[in-house]
Amino acid sequence: MKDYTTITSALRRILPEGLLLAGIVGLSATALQAQTTITSNQTGTHNGYFYTYWKDTGSATMTLGSGGNYSVSWNLGTGNFVGGKGWNTGSSYRTIGYNAGAWQPNGNAYLTLYGWTTNPLVEYYVVDSWGSWQPPGGTAQGTVYTDGGAYNLYRTQRVNKPSIVGTATFYQYWSVRTSKRPTGNNVAITFNNHVNAWANNGWNLGSHSYQVMATEGFQSSGYSNLTVWEQ
Amino acid sequence: MRSLYLLILPFMMTCACTYGQDTHDAPIEPTKDLVWIAADNPDHHPQKHEEKDIDIEGFYIGKYEVTQKSFADIMGHNPSAFKGEDRPVESVTWYDAIEYCNRRSEAEGLEPYYTIERGENDAEQQDWKVTPHPEANGYRLPTQAEWEFAARGGPQSEGYTYSGSDDVDDVAWYWQNSGDDPLGGAWNWPAIERNHGRTHPVGAKEPNELGLYDMSGNVREWCWDAYEASEGQATSPFGHQPGAIRVWKGGGWIGGDFCCEPAYTAGFEANNASNDQGFRVVRGR
Repeated sequence: MKDYTTITSALRRILPEGLLLAGIVGLSATALQAQTTITSNQTGTHNGYFYTYWKDTGSATMTLGSGGNYSVSWNLGTGNFVGGKGWNTGSSYRTIGYNAGAWQPNGNAYLTLYGWTTNPLVEYYVVDSWGSWQPPGGTAQGTVYTDGGAYNLYRTQRVNKPSIVGTATFYQYWSVRTSKRPTGNNVAITFNNHVNAWANNGWNLGSHSYQVMATEGFQSSGYSNLTVWEQ
Repeated sequence: MRSLYLLILPFMMTCACTYGQDTHDAPIEPTKDLVWIAADNPDHHPQKHEEKDIDIEGFYIGKYEVTQKSFADIMGHNPSAFKGEDRPVESVTWYDAIEYCNRRSEAEGLEPYYTIERGENDAEQQDWKVTPHPEANGYRLPTQAEWEFAARGGPQSEGYTYSGSDDVDDVAWYWQNSGDDPLGGAWNWPAIERNHGRTHPVGAKEPNELGLYDMSGNVREWCWDAYEASEGQATSPFGHQPGAIRVWKGGGWIGGDFCCEPAYTAGFEANNASNDQGFRVVRGR
């Protein structure tokens, strides 16, 4: 698997190598970053946004568009994929705006704000939509009404499991919309409302690691196209 | 014994001169796998820990994480998941580390540093009581402050982000470089597992300013201190007594690069073992 820019690929088909090089030099860095296609595991910064791509097996092509835009086409077979754009350092006070111009999962997938904190070590999800199965199962421990919808609150525990700090016992906090959020519009996730709802249950966050608006696919296929921004 | 001492005395002096700031504060016995860290102060006052008001006396610290060979030689068994004599021992509880310290002290004719009172539930190590004896010269676990002081390079600190470098790949095995191929993307356990993430032989990366290896990465290292869990931190569902969670430092092959920074501190249940958890020893004069 190899990373490449769509622009470079297109130019290579029509230009001799020397002209291609000159053309690349002539293009601005911004133009080259305008659309980058990824098919291998990596993180980075694109147009000012942190992005992440991870897949184990199967096929997933992620295209980093302008600003906070990205699209993913996945066909995973038995594999899993998670990718998204966001921020290298998350914040409890960030209101995340996004527009899911396309959200077309076939099978199990999440459209979710996803991140980690340390001290305490927590993995969290604010799930706005999903494919065939609404996570995480179990009994909700409260509901928060925010951003035009109701989200059920869950806390699951992982005992002696691998984590971003190594083997640890830690919680996963979940806010899961009670019905799939309509897509195709500019919407917001006021993360602090979820943070406060969790805190009311005694579920605290710590120091933020990354925070992305992610597409996660589990043994499924589909297509998503999102633009993310900070409000 | 005396002739052996005379034979390796020059080596000892070299170590002391290289890494200790003050040879008057130097060790009285030779040790080839330990580095002496002097209390770096012209008035011979103990070193102050940067962030905590803790006095740090001079101490020896292991140049390497305790290897599987050393652990097996002393304890008679090797619990490690990733076998290799020169790899760090892992899958050891805090109590296992304490016991190793005492047995190694006895094997080398030193005074054991700890008294261990085993509770009724001996196998689970849930109610063991460990009492330190600061006057003893035997092996012990570093305090959090000692460990951090050593990781930062002690008196010779260059102020690096990680122990010995600003580039984590120079000095540490962590999730992105501990497997078959370099990993990208955000931290992801299935990716690490599929890439055969693992421990590596000690001393394979660059040392820090004091000549200490793997202070960043490879295995997380037990410290003596009890860990004060943050509010909201999940802990073992089986419950805990005070002090039952102990500090670890340095990060390991599973965790992120930020865990490899000297300041990063977290805790793990003292009677818990995992394949990314090991230790190194210290001792006084």
